[in-house]
Order: sequence, then C-alpha cells, then structure tokens
Amino acid sequence: MSSRLEVDIHLRQRQFTLQVRCVAEVRTLGVHGASGSGKTSLLEAIAGWRRPDAGRLVVDGLALHDSARRIDLPPEQRGIGHVPQDALLWPHWTVGRNMRAGARRLDSAGEALLARTAEMLDIDKLLERGVGSLSGGERQRVALARALVGRPRLLLLDEPLAALDAPLRRRILAYLLRVRDELRVPTVFVSHDASEVQAMCDEVLVLDSGRVVAQGEPATVLRAGADAQAGFDNVLAGLVIELEDGVATLELDGGVRARVPSRGLEPGRRIAFAVHSDEVLLARGATGVISARNRLPARVECLADVGGAVRVDARLVAQGRGSLLSATVTRGAVEELGLAPGAEVECVFKASACRVWSAPGR
Amino acid sequence: MEPAVLLEVLSTTLRVASCAALVAAPCGIAAGWWLSRKEFPGKSVVETLLALPLVLPPVAVGYLLLALFARDGWLGEDALGFDPGVLFTWKGAVLASATMALPLVARTARAAFDGVDPRLELMARTAGMSPWRVRLCVTLPLARRGLAAACMLGFGRALGEFGATVVVAGNIPGRTQTIALAIFGEIQLGRADAAMQLVAVVAALAFVLSWSVERLQGAPRRDTR
Repeated sequence: MSSRLEVDIHLRQRQFTLQVRCVAEVRTLGVHGASGSGKTSLLEAIAGWRRPDAGRLVVDGLALHDSARRIDLPPEQRGIGHVPQDALLWPHWTVGRNMRAGARRLDSAGEALLARTAEMLDIDKLLERGVGSLSGGERQRVALARALVGRPRLLLLDEPLAALDAPLRRRILAYLLRVRDELRVPTVFVSHDASEVQAMCDEVLVLDSGRVVAQGEPATVLRAGADAQAGFDNVLAGLVIELEDGVATLELDGGVRARVPSRGLEPGRRIAFAVHSDEVLLARGATGVISARNRLPARVECLADVGGAVRVDARLVAQGRGSLLSATVTRGAVEELGLAPGAEVECVFKASACRVWSAPGR
Repeated sequence: MEPAVLLEVLSTTLRVASCAALVAAPCGIAAGWWLSRKEFPGKSVVETLLALPLVLPPVAVGYLLLALFARDGWLGEDALGFDPGVLFTWKGAVLASATMALPLVARTARAAFDGVDPRLELMARTAGMSPWRVRLCVTLPLARRGLAAACMLGFGRALGEFGATVVVAGNIPGRTQTIALAIFGEIQLGRADAAMQLVAVVAALAFVLSWSVERLQGAPRRDTR
C-alpha cells in the first residue's frame, strides 16, 4: 500500500528556511540528512505541529495545508501517526491507556487491531504497566503501537532509534521492518543513519540546510553521499531458509544465497543484515578454498575515489536485478585486479562480519 | 476567649477563605493557562497587572475595591441599578480575599502548566483529540500537583488576608470578622491571651497548609517520563 505525498513548502526557521519541494509515492520514504538539516521540521509540518509560511502539503489528494486556499487542517483531522525520537508517551497513563488514546475508533475491529499490534510489537504483557517503568526500547514500541492503532493514512517515524544504544537499535529496527512488511502502512522514516534508511526505505530524500539535495533509490543516493572516511554499510534483506552450525543461510532477492550468524533466527523469517564495505573483499579468477562463508558473484557497476581508497559498487548476479554491494579497496588492488565497470568479480565476506537485525520470534 | 466566639470566628474565616479560593482557583488557573500557552501583544502588561496585588499594599487594593463598589463607583448601585451587596458583608470579605489570592494562584498555576511539555498536547491532537479534550485529559492531569498547590496557596492567602478585607468588609463580629481581623481586634482591646489563642489556631492551620503544599510541590512524581 502506498500514499502519494506532495510537498511544496516554505517554513522559516531560526538558522535557515526549510524549502522542500517533492512528489513521492510513499511506501517507505526515507528522509536523510545531518542534524539540523530540517528533517524534524518537515515531519512536524506534515503532522500539523508547525505551520508553513507558504505552500501546500497533500497526502493522497487530501490537502493538509494549502496557503493559497487557506486550508490548514488541525492535527486531529490529518489522520497521521507520529513516533518522535523521545516517544512522547503520556506519563499519567498506563501503556494500555496510551494505546487506547491513540485509537480513533475502538469498535471490535479497533480492539482487534490493538491486540494484534500489541502482540506484533511484543508489548501485550506491558499493557497494565505505567510508562515511567518502561525501558527505552519498550517506550519506542509503545509509541509505535499507539501510532498504528489510529489507522493512520501516513506514519511518521522521526529518528525512532536515535536515542537507543546499538544492540537495542538493531532490535527495534527489526520491529519496524516487521510492521512495514505486515501492516504496510505508508511511512516517512527520518534518520541520519544511512544503513537504517537503506534497510527500511524504497526511496529517500536527502536534506541539507532545509533543501532537498537528492532523491531516489537509497542504495544509489546514499552511496553517492557516503563519508569517505567512515566507509559504507551494505544493507541487504532476505528469507532465512536453513540453520546449520551457527550459520543461517538466507535467500536474497533474485535467488542469491548469503550466510549470516544464526543466533536468534528461525527458518521462514525475513530479516535484514548489514556488512560494512571495509569487510567485503573482491576476488577475480580462481580463489581456491577459503574460510569466508560468502562468495557472491557480481559485476562491477562503478568505482568512486573516496579519499585514499576506492569504493567499488558491484551488482550481485541474480535472477532479475540483484542487490548492490560496495567494497572499499586500495588503488593498488584496483590496478592489480583490473577492476572497471563490467568486470566480473566475487564479493567475499565472512558470515561473522554481518550484523543481523531481527526481532525475537514467536 | 469563649469557645462559642472562637468557633464563630473560625467558621467565618473558613467560609470566607473557602469561597475566596473557589472564586480565585478557576480564574487563576485559566489565567495561568492563558499566560503559559498563548503569545499575544501586551502579554507583559497583563502579567504586570496580574502581579500588582502582590506588591501593592493590601489596604490600597481594598481601597480600590471600595471605590469600585461604592454607590457611585463603576460597579456600584448607581451604575448597576441594584445594590450588589458587597461592601461590609461577608461577600465583600470573599471578594477582597479572592482578589489578593488571585495573583498567587495564577502564578503557581502558570508554573504548573509551564512544566507540561506542549509536545505531549500536540501528540494528543495528532492522536485525534480535540483541543478541549486535550486540556481535560492531558494538560490538567499532568499539571494537577501544581494546580492543587496553587489552590492551597490561594486558600492560605485568603485565610490570612487582613488589609483589603478590613477596608471592604469592615470588622463586624459574627459577619465579617475573620481570624486575622479578630487577632487585630483582641490586640487593640489589650486581650493578649485571646489574641494568642487565635494565633495558635491560625498557626496550626497554616502549618497543615504549608506542609501540604510542600508535599505537592516537592515530592518526586512517580509517573515522570
């Protein structure tokens, strides 16, 4: 399910004017950029928390704001679900009461959605708890559940993982992936973390000082802007088909098979994982037997100079269009292997180099 | 002091202070909310006017009320066409006490509303609640401790009010004589024991009130975010 989002707004801020103009077919739209680039302001304008100085905001033909027609729907009439970074749970209510307050209608279907959402996000045991006793991850899941039970036409996720530590971030991201795949609510996902955007989104807007500087497929757009020093996280998704000796075999898009650590996984689950470009080796010709569990055939698409190294983007050979994988190598390796667009290579990485994002199974 | 007289003074005092708190609480809470949540031209002037009774001598405030409700005042019999029955009645004592309590209630209520994150209210709007439902279900419950403290402080201020009350309502035993006025009367008559008895009673009341306010304002909230 998708929503058509049309944004053309001017919103004066203290340091810059947010000036966003874009049209996007939203299934999961990423909004990426550094701190202070205007990501949260854009979301708050969509939610009706900030009023643009001029312009229009339309979701699926419904004008949320249109300065020319003097339309400015109040937040309660926009049908938006919002999960901010700090969750903003109402502290005087229990988890259950927070969720009920988020539901616009509590008929039998609403009750069923509430129960299903609580179960999906593993908060069904927390419903009687006060929100003051929740951990950071539990708070984010409750905030997400509260937004979902309102049956929003558009879900806004504003850096929902930013306040969490790395292991918890991976765990909550897995819940977000589950919500994306099972409930299919059109979502705008704000994050300054490129790998999160890659894992979640099928399209991304990149903001800088309040303006859209790039828009397109996350793998392509985010690679172009990747920090040369920091390298780049490859994010891939696939279905667990087998577990053996601590290694899970995944089937990626196009039938490609990859191996990742199996801890906490079970067959039949769809998961995402990340492997850093520094961890991916490229090989040509006969490599003999090696210990790395992943040797994936690919074809080089492009090479980019990133400081002292070269980032090689290669597309995995698959039925149909395979995923893009980046490797960071030295200039000497590029010359020795004769790497150029079109060259056939093997992408080699250890299963243990993969960081798996997975929610607990049931 | 005879117990019957003491009871009468105490009864008048509690009646006047309760009614004054009942008048000042809704007005002060509404004013506190308005000042906390709204921006408008002249806001600082309104804030200053509202704080005036805190710094003006209470006798001066009483005199202004007296002028306002005098026969030829803006709210007097000539202007209204009937006698509002305020001057030298217990209603006058209530009016004077409420006027003196109002700034204290408003300032404390404002601080209580300032302590509620406005984004929690916006989130409630996004969840589909109307502005009034947000005020009732989110803002007021989250500010409840501060608002209860505001009401108690208003009651306490009314309990000890003297200057404005004596000008507007006089010091009429059995009608307008509150405990503060009675202490003044006993001192003037040289009855030190009776005055001390009244001081002991009002000190006990003040202690309970202050203790309650401290508990409300100082105790950590169990349901913090």
